[in-house]
Amino acid sequence: MMEELTALDPMTLKVSELLKEVHLQTSSSFTKLVEDTVSAIRESINQIPEGLEVTAKEARGFVRDIGADKAEFKFKRPSYIEVCGSYSINCIARPDTGVDILLRLPKECFNEKDYLNHRYHAKRFLYLCVIKKFLKSSSSISKVEWSTFQNEARKPVLLVYPANNISEAPEFFVRVIPTAKSLFDVSRLDLRRNNIRALNQDGSTLPSPRYNTSILEDMSLEENNEFLRKTFAGWKELGEALILLKVWARQRSSVYVHDCLNGFLLAIILSYLATHEKINKTMRPLQMFRVTLDFIGNSKLWARGLYFHKNVTITKEDRMKNIESFPVFLCDAHSSTNLTYRISKSAFSELQEEAVITLQCLGKFGDGAFEDIFTTNVDFSSKYDHHIRLNLKGSKEVFSSGFCLDDECWRLYEKQVHDLLSQGLGDRTKSVRVIWRNSSSGCSLEKGFSTLDREPLIVGISMSTPEKAFRVVDIGPDAEDRDAVLKFRKFWGEKAELRRFQDGRIAESTVWETKDWTKHLILKRIVEHVLVRHLSLSETNITQIVDQLDFSLLHGGTDPVSFFPNLLGTFEVLERRLRSIEDVPLKISHVQPLDPALRSTSVFPPEPHPLANEKGSGGKLSKLTSSCIQPLEVMIQLEGSGNWPKDDVAIQKTKSAFLLKIGESLQSNWGMRCDATEDEVVVLLSGYAFRLKILHERALALVNSGIANQRAKRVFGADKSLFFESQHASMIKGLLKPYPAYGPVVRLAKRWVASHLFSASLADETVELLVAYLFVKSLPFKTPCSRITGFLRFLRLLADYDWAFSPMVIDMKDDLSPSDKKEIEDNFRLSRKGYAGNMQNISPAMFLATSYDKASEAWTSSSPNSMELKRLIAYARSSANLLTKLICQDESDSLRWECLLRTPFNNYDAVVLLHGDKLPFPRHLLFPSLVNQGRVVARGNASKSFSPFFSSEDLRGRNLQKLKDKLMVDFDPLRLYVTDLKASISCDPSNHKLSFNLPPCSCVLTVFSFFRHLQREFSTVKLWYDALGGDAIGLTWDRSGSKVKLFIFSNKLVVSVFWPFKVVNLFLLLAVPETAAR
Amino acid sequence: MRNLELDSKRMKSKKKRRENDVEVEVKNEEKSHERNPGDGKKKRRRETKNNGELVTVSEANSLVEAETVKKMKKKKKQRKEIVAKIAPVEESDQVDDGSARQSGKSMKSKKDKKKNKMKPVVASEGVGMQRKTEKQEEDVYCLSSGDEDCSKGMKKWLTEYNESRPGLRALQQRIDDFIISHEEKLEEEKKEREAQAADGGWTVVVHQRGRKKTTDPESGIAVGSAVPVAKVDDITTKKKRNEIGVDFYRFQKREAHMNEILQLQSKFEEDKKRIQQLRAARKFRPY
Repeated sequence: MMEELTALDPMTLKVSELLKEVHLQTSSSFTKLVEDTVSAIRESINQIPEGLEVTAKEARGFVRDIGADKAEFKFKRPSYIEVCGSYSINCIARPDTGVDILLRLPKECFNEKDYLNHRYHAKRFLYLCVIKKFLKSSSSISKVEWSTFQNEARKPVLLVYPANNISEAPEFFVRVIPTAKSLFDVSRLDLRRNNIRALNQDGSTLPSPRYNTSILEDMSLEENNEFLRKTFAGWKELGEALILLKVWARQRSSVYVHDCLNGFLLAIILSYLATHEKINKTMRPLQMFRVTLDFIGNSKLWARGLYFHKNVTITKEDRMKNIESFPVFLCDAHSSTNLTYRISKSAFSELQEEAVITLQCLGKFGDGAFEDIFTTNVDFSSKYDHHIRLNLKGSKEVFSSGFCLDDECWRLYEKQVHDLLSQGLGDRTKSVRVIWRNSSSGCSLEKGFSTLDREPLIVGISMSTPEKAFRVVDIGPDAEDRDAVLKFRKFWGEKAELRRFQDGRIAESTVWETKDWTKHLILKRIVEHVLVRHLSLSETNITQIVDQLDFSLLHGGTDPVSFFPNLLGTFEVLERRLRSIEDVPLKISHVQPLDPALRSTSVFPPEPHPLANEKGSGGKLSKLTSSCIQPLEVMIQLEGSGNWPKDDVAIQKTKSAFLLKIGESLQSNWGMRCDATEDEVVVLLSGYAFRLKILHERALALVNSGIANQRAKRVFGADKSLFFESQHASMIKGLLKPYPAYGPVVRLAKRWVASHLFSASLADETVELLVAYLFVKSLPFKTPCSRITGFLRFLRLLADYDWAFSPMVIDMKDDLSPSDKKEIEDNFRLSRKGYAGNMQNISPAMFLATSYDKASEAWTSSSPNSMELKRLIAYARSSANLLTKLICQDESDSLRWECLLRTPFNNYDAVVLLHGDKLPFPRHLLFPSLVNQGRVVARGNASKSFSPFFSSEDLRGRNLQKLKDKLMVDFDPLRLYVTDLKASISCDPSNHKLSFNLPPCSCVLTVFSFFRHLQREFSTVKLWYDALGGDAIGLTWDRSGSKVKLFIFSNKLVVSVFWPFKVVNLFLLLAVPETAAR
Repeated sequence: MRNLELDSKRMKSKKKRRENDVEVEVKNEEKSHERNPGDGKKKRRRETKNNGELVTVSEANSLVEAETVKKMKKKKKQRKEIVAKIAPVEESDQVDDGSARQSGKSMKSKKDKKKNKMKPVVASEGVGMQRKTEKQEEDVYCLSSGDEDCSKGMKKWLTEYNESRPGLRALQQRIDDFIISHEEKLEEEKKEREAQAADGGWTVVVHQRGRKKTTDPESGIAVGSAVPVAKVDDITTKKKRNEIGVDFYRFQKREAHMNEILQLQSKFEEDKKRIQQLRAARKFRPY
């Protein structure tokens, strides 16, 4: 009964599945592996002769760098070797399958005063050196490596890899951790004592709390381990809660690092809560998880320090002092060691924030939160808005005052960078996180610490509101305040200037003047200035991830978004003129922009065209005056009338008639050129072209009746899509103000979609909705504030979202009622019902629900289909992985960034390359496509009848009117070509032939290549292209089980190309390229 | 009996052909391994072989086409061709042999000409192409730019573009014409209907008010009123008549309750199913 009850909750079901997946159950083979390895270690240690003289010679570099004055001892075997850690409490979470063993350093090897001057650390290391030497010679051990204990270089540990391995734990190793139980007098290691003589200021010694705690930690390891073992013994749920916490933390790489959480600390926190009865035996793991996060995120106890009941003896004064020495104080159960002495202040606030965010997820989304909490990767690259990488290889600055004093130089440097950036950026940021991993695996610590700076230092910055983050002027202290001014000047150097402000105030300030479209680079400039000024770093060693993808949005060197205000102004003029029209039977009641360019989500919002003006030309005609102009869609509504015809065809015709009248009126009254065809009317105004559309009121009724009335659906198709467009446009427009990063992210996303030839699969509106989802439902992240982070999250969303089983509900203003949500859920179920067994062909493959479209009819009903979606997901995943790498790893090569937008052609069966110079907007092309594999089978000459730019003769002619008439509205050879090609592809099952009727290639160079699958079945041919101005069209054959066979003999493929105009039929015989034959 | 024998023969020949195919494939694969751009001799050899292979394909191609037309007659020929097909693979070093076969091929295609006008051109084109295989580049079929006639390509698109813009007046005229003819048609249809009705001896009396219709007869929705988008909801709510609530009777409540329980149950079942599917899709592996 109990089982059934718990199983009712999907979250619990999911969690138990997760545990099954992650929890490494100790099977007999695994236990044997551990035991064998440990006994092998024991054996090797037993071979070490007692009384072996050990001197600093063993590891001269280490002893020198650590600054120990003496370190000799006679070797004695350890009296205690025991397995500890997660293995001993049966809480190993994949994929970290390492097992820790403790090895007690014998008291005989140490002197009473060895806690001074790093002597303990030196001897500890030398002791391990001896052991390492003997372990290496053991036959059952494949390799022994150095690592460090929680990234603390002065406390190395040994990683022992056994010779045998089992499949359950592929990268199994044993970590040998020395302990120092009762080696020293605890009172000597009081936090206020100085134990490093070199640490002094003006002759007086300073306390060394971190150094002392570092030794104390080793002394208390055994007891703490025993304590954990007792707490976790026989309490399965507690162990499971620990695993959940580990998975949660592991997904958040900014809190699961050396200066924040680790598995041991999580276990300690859990047992703290257990001993304080905040967690009890009746709780289920998920509840414990929640309680723990609540404790981490919201408890006020952290400010006072955490103490176990047994610590009652510690006086209040001591407690006050403890919390002064460390930002976080968690006293262990037996002594007064601070177990959290590595946690920095910024790391802890980060941790608390993460915990709070997770609790929000749990509270808001119920079982939908599972993915956000446990399977979404909230790593460094996707969490922060701005990333900085400092390459500090060989930088002497870092350890100028020694490697290790109270703290280690790397931690001090982290702090220095953090403080500098926090000061420099002020309230532009919410938080700054600096992490420097000193990877030591594989390096020989014996030679010292100079190799520990190989990894770059990584900074992540969360921006505060965009108004603050991209502020142009920072106002400093008043001119009168001498001290503050001096400080300010010292910090900013030549950048500081005295200014008088509008309110009459005279103050020091820094000004970061820039153009509107480069405002996102202000942060970058500040960071560069501060770091270069204070850290004596060269600019080449500072990599900031901000503008690396901007190249894809530029048009002739500037971002076309800079014309946006101009465009909006023009639109307003148009609106006014439309509304003032008198000579049309019905008045225009409503004008709404529909085009993405009018909500700054278009990749290339148009620039004003010099020939599209009413009078004269707007400026000098440049050499590259485009001969085409892209119209922007505008919807208008007319005042009501009962005289509209009843049937659809007549309605459409009447609409056209109205549009013509409107165009005529504009033309005669304002001199605006009107370009009309039977279906559409385009008017030109101040350099822009607007395509007018009329929404007929009757379409509005569809909102309520559309689903029920099949006929209505068919009849009002045009109006319905117009209605969707208008709803979508106003919805998206609402996002621009609160989220300034929305526009650039959408533009990058659209660029990515197009450059991988997915223009036909993913509508512009779909991309806008997907990105909108990132912004309105940002949990478990914060709202993205930078284009690259937003773009990365878009790729991950596309790749990781559970499209098959979940509808994506884009709830813009939290305005969906529960009944709306239920309706969406029902619609979704309905759409998935028919495919219960077969999830291959669901439609719509992407279910996007919004307040105006609860059944996902508007944008994704026909594309992408499952096959396209699968491909999209694969592309998104590989792009996301590449982008993550580019952000976090030292890869200064700009070419690698281009790879994100350069599509590989070996994923197509054939590729058609177009003449790039015959596309209407050649400058929109990112890279001219190159196909260097496969074989060219047909090649076409470029047509001479069209050029995207006016010829120099035309321009010299000076006949402005003639030129204006020559300007073509909405002429797109690519689109026309694709339409022709699509229409001509047929596959004829009767004669087993796949035929392409290549449209006469007036602008086309055709390449067929890559017949990878020799014998594949095909039923349809799919076209992939880049509507933004790409010069390549990819073709793929679909192999969805039809009986048609591609005509293949031996390794040659026959494609017949029909030539209906000449009645010529030709066979193209293709040898399979060798790359493909494999 | 005879049929049976024939059949088995056919089977055999087919089998042979398949074997042959495999052989060619394997050979070519070997070749692709030994391909070496620096080795001119080898390269030439490969080309000639390619040449031979090209023949095989076109033969085979026409073979299949012919098969659909005349199955019985072909059997002999087929066998012959198979022999021919094996030949190029084995003796592909001899170019002469290949060209001889080519001529044979084009003769055959002439025969086919009678059946299909399209085919001979194809074959000769194909042969023409084969001759060019000395250089791989020459395999490339050249497509015209389409500039020489207006029926295709860029010229066509430009013409269409221009033709679709006859000027505002002309467009207006077209629409007017359409509307007039459309109305006439409707009128006619109406008359026809009425005539039919009159023929039947009775007419349907339709309830009609004096006022102009403001609601769509099909969906009962207001038309032709100047209502901005946002206000639609208000109107529909106003229109709602006072209906008896669905939970007026006790049995309705009971049923609703039962339905809810059933729905919950089915939702639970679906959740379970979904988790099964997720598990199959490895969705629970966090990293």
